[in-house]
Amino acid sequence: MSLAAAAGSAPAAVAAPESDFARELARIAGKIAALGEGALVRPTDTERVTAHVDAHYRRALLTSDLAALEEVEPRIDSGIAIVPHPGDLWLLKARLAFHLHRFADAARILATVAPARACAEGQTLLADLDVQHGRLSAAAERYAAVIAQARPWAALAGLAWLHLKLGDAAQADRLYAEAGDELTAKEMRAFAWVELQRGVLDLAHGRHAEAETHYARAARAYSGWWLVDEHRAELLAAQGDLAGAAALYETVVAAVPRPELHQALGQLYALMERPGRARSQFVQARAGYLAPVRRGGVHSLHHLADFYAEAMIDGAKALEWARRDLALRETFSTQAALAWALLRDGQAAEAAAWMDRALASGVKDAHLCAQAAAVFEAAGDGAKAATMRDLARSINPRLGPFHVHR
Amino acid sequence: MADHNDPNAINSIFSDIDVSAADLYDIFGFPSDDRDGGDKVLIALTFAAIPQAGTLDSDLLYRIRIAPDRRITRDADDKSLAGLFRYFDGVKKKYLSVLKPAEVRVTVDASNRATVKFMGFPGGSFTQVIDTNRSVVLKSPAGHAIKVYVGGRDDAFFNDLPGFFRSINYAPQFYHVPHTMPEARELPIPKTFLELEGNDLFNYNPKIPDHGRGVKLDLPPGPWNLTPKAFKKDAGGNFRFVYSGRDAQAGKNVNAVIVEIPLAYITATPNDHRIVNCWGESWVRKAANKVETIPDEPFWVERPLDLVDAVELDDELKAYKLVDTDGQAFADAALSEREDSRQMGANNFWLAPHFVKRLAHLGWGFGPSVTALGLKCAFDHDNSPVSLHRYEHSVLTAFPRVKKVLFQDMRMPDDSWNPKRLDIPLRRAIEIFIPNVNSIDMDTTGTWPFGRRLEDQVATRFLSVFLDMDAELKGRKYDIELLNNQALWDAAPIVPKTPPNPLKNDVPFLEEFPYLAEPHGKPGYP
Repeated sequence: MSLAAAAGSAPAAVAAPESDFARELARIAGKIAALGEGALVRPTDTERVTAHVDAHYRRALLTSDLAALEEVEPRIDSGIAIVPHPGDLWLLKARLAFHLHRFADAARILATVAPARACAEGQTLLADLDVQHGRLSAAAERYAAVIAQARPWAALAGLAWLHLKLGDAAQADRLYAEAGDELTAKEMRAFAWVELQRGVLDLAHGRHAEAETHYARAARAYSGWWLVDEHRAELLAAQGDLAGAAALYETVVAAVPRPELHQALGQLYALMERPGRARSQFVQARAGYLAPVRRGGVHSLHHLADFYAEAMIDGAKALEWARRDLALRETFSTQAALAWALLRDGQAAEAAAWMDRALASGVKDAHLCAQAAAVFEAAGDGAKAATMRDLARSINPRLGPFHVHR
Repeated sequence: MADHNDPNAINSIFSDIDVSAADLYDIFGFPSDDRDGGDKVLIALTFAAIPQAGTLDSDLLYRIRIAPDRRITRDADDKSLAGLFRYFDGVKKKYLSVLKPAEVRVTVDASNRATVKFMGFPGGSFTQVIDTNRSVVLKSPAGHAIKVYVGGRDDAFFNDLPGFFRSINYAPQFYHVPHTMPEARELPIPKTFLELEGNDLFNYNPKIPDHGRGVKLDLPPGPWNLTPKAFKKDAGGNFRFVYSGRDAQAGKNVNAVIVEIPLAYITATPNDHRIVNCWGESWVRKAANKVETIPDEPFWVERPLDLVDAVELDDELKAYKLVDTDGQAFADAALSEREDSRQMGANNFWLAPHFVKRLAHLGWGFGPSVTALGLKCAFDHDNSPVSLHRYEHSVLTAFPRVKKVLFQDMRMPDDSWNPKRLDIPLRRAIEIFIPNVNSIDMDTTGTWPFGRRLEDQVATRFLSVFLDMDAELKGRKYDIELLNNQALWDAAPIVPKTPPNPLKNDVPFLEEFPYLAEPHGKPGYP
């Protein structure tokens, strides 16, 4: 089935009744119902508490419901207060904190709860935290140590992503393939996720047909998943089929109204010169980004910096959010975001300085290089800008104006 | 959701995989009583009845690996540490380079039809698709008749597994153990056959009679270690047995692959190769392979036979991951600590040093409890009056203590195991557990340890490896059935007065193939 056909079919993000995604959600709902709210009230036991919390966490992740995910935390806290050995729940809380970009919280838990830190998942999370703080070599070493022990697919995928960002796409793809090879027929969603990453890797290098192949495998592995459709929509846009991409994004966002999806759809409409529709999507994106911030969350800071720089073209606000995100973690990603926001704000010289810091990490990414070229051009360094442009083209000869922030 | 690589953005930290059909239970094997047309061997591999008895998981592949061999000959100086390592080395060479195991490979499709492949046998390789839950007779290329059954049966293993887990203080049977606490599986309490004073975590509690038998409690805060002063006794001066004699598998079903194969099909020299070594393996399909089998192209739907023919057998196995192996009863549970990385089947010779140390660890626990019962123990525990939780960190220190356990002949209760009265040496623990295979002697009845017959109480026979087989009770030398003798327990200062495990299965075995009893309730049957 072609991607264009996929875009024109029934809304895939609203999972068909027999899809793998729908079945998994139904299983989780059944489990939640069976366990009941009494699971977190004494008398109960560790297994029931853990199953209850895990089911809510899993459902929030699958549906990408940030508010629901935030609401899992009080459940985890209740569980920790009840069970005698809450190491598993602490690990889950650390993972949740990481997911919500509360990196200091995640690090604090791992520093103080030995069982959570010692296991493979804890060590992988520490490597993930290293990445978020720009300690890429340390992260690579930690991933490698975890892999040497038990070869968990998640650590292989983490290391693959590092290689991808550092410019070794071949090694990255090998590691992704190894991660996929560790997964069995009982873990098809995880396999689909790995296939999506391999597709992203190909897309980032302009290999559209190869990306399509991986996305098709992901769809076969785990049917009905909106995340696959979202990746396919991006690919359609990269191939120049903006209308097809927008149609597919519409179906996805109807089922999963994430602000990032509204932003992507809005940017598509902007490229299609449909400003009214773009504006409507941007309004919804902004509301979605700001809602968790008003609740005290920090998960959206990076997205808000990108949103104001790319969608609203408001340099001052982009700068404000980028600085707040940088205060949480300093990595090539936040450095580059700050540089881009500074450029939008008309501060080209300072933008160039921050872009230099981002590039000093060793990251070789076509989108980043293209942004760096623009920054250096504005700062008056034409030679450096040309070098960056060439590098961007060498990495992805088909780099286009539409970019999804992942 | 995140602006970075995050595999766990789509996952919880907890496994969402239920009890697996890859969980192998037992491999039975013995010479068939039906010798019409020559010797035949019966092999039954049993595993978890998932999704249900009679319905097999189509993502699984099961292998029964079979390596015929001559009867073992012993080194003249084989009771020294050097002799021990020569033995390990010989086993390694044999399994890596000399023996080329053949196999019976079974997969089941979505309609629950089984594809059975006989591969690498001197009698010829062939493949046949059969109905499950029905005994069939297949013809090999050379005309050998092979009986096959794939489907649900009663679980033929009768044992007090909770009792065994109580004896080794295995917490997951009794408590909710978080997966971030692997150190809290076997708790640091001496292993023992008799309850220990102060072992409140595992001693029988009449207020919670089913604790460990389906009832799990939250694991209390530690520390969990215990240095007992004595075995626990009641007001009457009786010890309390950790075993109950109850059949924990009663009423439970398994799925199984059962074959009855002529020896002449397995080996070109059946008069010479009198030993049939076998072990089972479960493999789960890799995700990548499953994607390729999800039909989305007309070719896959319209020409399935072309697809089958296109797949080379070696390539088939590459599409799966090895999950579990099963050869010798209790080799995994007792000696390999149920670690996934130690699921090695015949290749467990790599674990030989660990095996010696683990046996010593068990000996420090079980040994004193054997002695306390008035029985002589083969493990040298320095006459400790109570079980100890002690690890030997060196093979050099462990070996002298376990030497007798390893090398003593496991005496049989009578000569019925050897109906031809041939000069067949008794088996020894070292030969039984390394390699981890069911080694069936075709000149015996195949009773454990010369194979494993359905009616063998192997759980109790396993415990007898710690008895001193040179000792006598009432003028009779110890044997592997001693602990199955009700009279022994009647005379012992212990409650309950029962052999550790039940003496027979909850339902009778069948007189004819497939021998294992019909499944309880026959769920999932057409």
